[in-house]
Amino acid sequence: MINRKLVKFLSFRYVILALLFIILAGGLVLLPKFEKQEGIKPEQLLSNIISPERYITTDELADRIINQDPSLLLIDLRDEETFKKYSLPNAINMPLKNLFDEDSSAFLNQDAYDVVFFSNDNFDADQAWILCNRLDYKNLYVLKGGINRWFKTIINPPHPKENMPLEAFKLYATRKAASMYFGVAYPDQVKTNVPKRPRPTPKKVITVKKKKKAPEGGC
Amino acid sequence: MKELEKIKRISIVSILFILAVLIGLLTYKRPKNTYAINTEKTLEKITNNHFFITLENINTPDYVLIDVRSQNEFEKGHLEHAINIHTPEILNNSAFFKELKKSNKIAILYGENPQQVNIPFLFLYQLGYDNIKLLTVKNSYSQNKLITKTCDIEKLEADISAFINESVKNSKIKVTPKKTIQPPKKIITVQKKKKKAPEGGC
Amino acid sequence: MGPLLPNDIIPFEWSSIIAIVIGIFFGFILESSGFSSSRKLAGVFYGYDFAVLKVFFTAALVSLIGLLYMDYLGYVDMSSLYVHPTYLWAAIIGGAIMGIGFVAGGFCPGTSLCAVAIGKIDAIVYVIGIMVGVFIFSELYSVFEPIYTGYFYGNITLVDSLGINPYWFVFLFTIAAVIIFVLVDMIRKRVKKVFY
Repeated sequence: MINRKLVKFLSFRYVILALLFIILAGGLVLLPKFEKQEGIKPEQLLSNIISPERYITTDELADRIINQDPSLLLIDLRDEETFKKYSLPNAINMPLKNLFDEDSSAFLNQDAYDVVFFSNDNFDADQAWILCNRLDYKNLYVLKGGINRWFKTIINPPHPKENMPLEAFKLYATRKAASMYFGVAYPDQVKTNVPKRPRPTPKKVITVKKKKKAPEGGC
Repeated sequence: MKELEKIKRISIVSILFILAVLIGLLTYKRPKNTYAINTEKTLEKITNNHFFITLENINTPDYVLIDVRSQNEFEKGHLEHAINIHTPEILNNSAFFKELKKSNKIAILYGENPQQVNIPFLFLYQLGYDNIKLLTVKNSYSQNKLITKTCDIEKLEADISAFINESVKNSKIKVTPKKTIQPPKKIITVQKKKKKAPEGGC
Repeated sequence: MGPLLPNDIIPFEWSSIIAIVIGIFFGFILESSGFSSSRKLAGVFYGYDFAVLKVFFTAALVSLIGLLYMDYLGYVDMSSLYVHPTYLWAAIIGGAIMGIGFVAGGFCPGTSLCAVAIGKIDAIVYVIGIMVGVFIFSELYSVFEPIYTGYFYGNITLVDSLGINPYWFVFLFTIAAVIIFVLVDMIRKRVKKVFY
């Protein structure tokens, strides 16, 4: 009626289950270890980094600074010395080396500001952006061409030639006005209508915290 | 008999459990590409190590030139003995990079300019291929010929504050207020602390 | 709900529904394995039935080993799991009080509700007792507050605070559990059987 062999086998069921446990736990010890890597998947990262969406042009940036966009946060990735010599107004100095220092992550890992990285050209800024993108930080941008292009286009805009289209002259006029805002004076300037720069207001940075719901436990 | 009925129930549950585990294991796919170093280490390495190489030093048999521009650009003109791997195709060629690493060869990436190469370079670096270097050249065309020039990276081209001061002096306007760039005040980080005492327990 | 809810894999609104479904299954299994009997629960203390101890130990082990395997294979990120915060003295005192209640009443809060559902009068009395206790605690909260919120150690786990390899810890823990099960079985055989 009852399969005797099965009964005999099942009388050892507790021993078998205990052994199964020990084997499974031992397996964990014996598993080959590898270092866990943080960040988004490499495939995703690659498709992010080849897209040019992260770039912001110097004209756009100048426009946003002049309009005193409150959501703008500029981060200067050069070393302290060059930063002291000249930097964009209200920029924060954060040398590339210190990108992942403890107090930097408050600026980077947030969603209140549009953070714009810049360096002399966009080499260092791109590197910073790639690393931060891997960590899935949001709202980060790179100033295309960096400070060098900033100088060439905004501070010292090239005078358009006679045969250039009207747009070039318009662009030159805007850039010239912008450069006046940033402190450049021209001999033909009628009056010193340089607007007074407002005192930089300290920005509060709110770090994005992952939502953690407290689950109700219980037995 | 009651004992046996219980066993039946237990065995049904355990079969279901084992099935779930098996399905989990069978559908498991090992991720194809994984990072080899984390971001902090990468940052430390790229800021300390020297990975640039100039045009004069590339004629060694251990070096393999890789062109990261598109195939179109590559066909227009490229450096001698260069292999074309366009940046978006890099992951499809990971076997090639693995082989290079095995045979101790050094891959030298170049493109239109160093900024363009920077992207695939840093990407490969994070995947663990540390046998790569970056050729600091700028490629342009002149009369249908590829011109390769060495160029600098992250070099400040002009002293901007000096330029501004100069322009102020030249403008003959005395009243121009002198502008100094004020370093912004230290930002006080506000960290939201979400502490919710969870209730529970058995 | 571990990593599923905070990452919006399951929408937040579903959490109550999932909780109800899990609760129904939990109560069903609790009842069908006889945990709504206070004699079975109290058996752990008198030494004639160790089912409760074995069940909870095994449940902890299964989930621990399973989680570590899933973490290893990349299904679950262990660091995103919720870890209950440790308030040291509050936990010790609360545990002692609950232990006394456990021996005296023969229920733990979960099983008492389960027993209320099948209409046990002692469980109903027990639950009323819990309510009275809750009332007293909340009335005297200002007195208890320093100990309730004090001695905070953060969301630590045993592995963190001991600083040992989690895999080895689980292995040793499993062996210890098996040894305890064997010992407990030996004790049960010596103690006079109680039928209930």
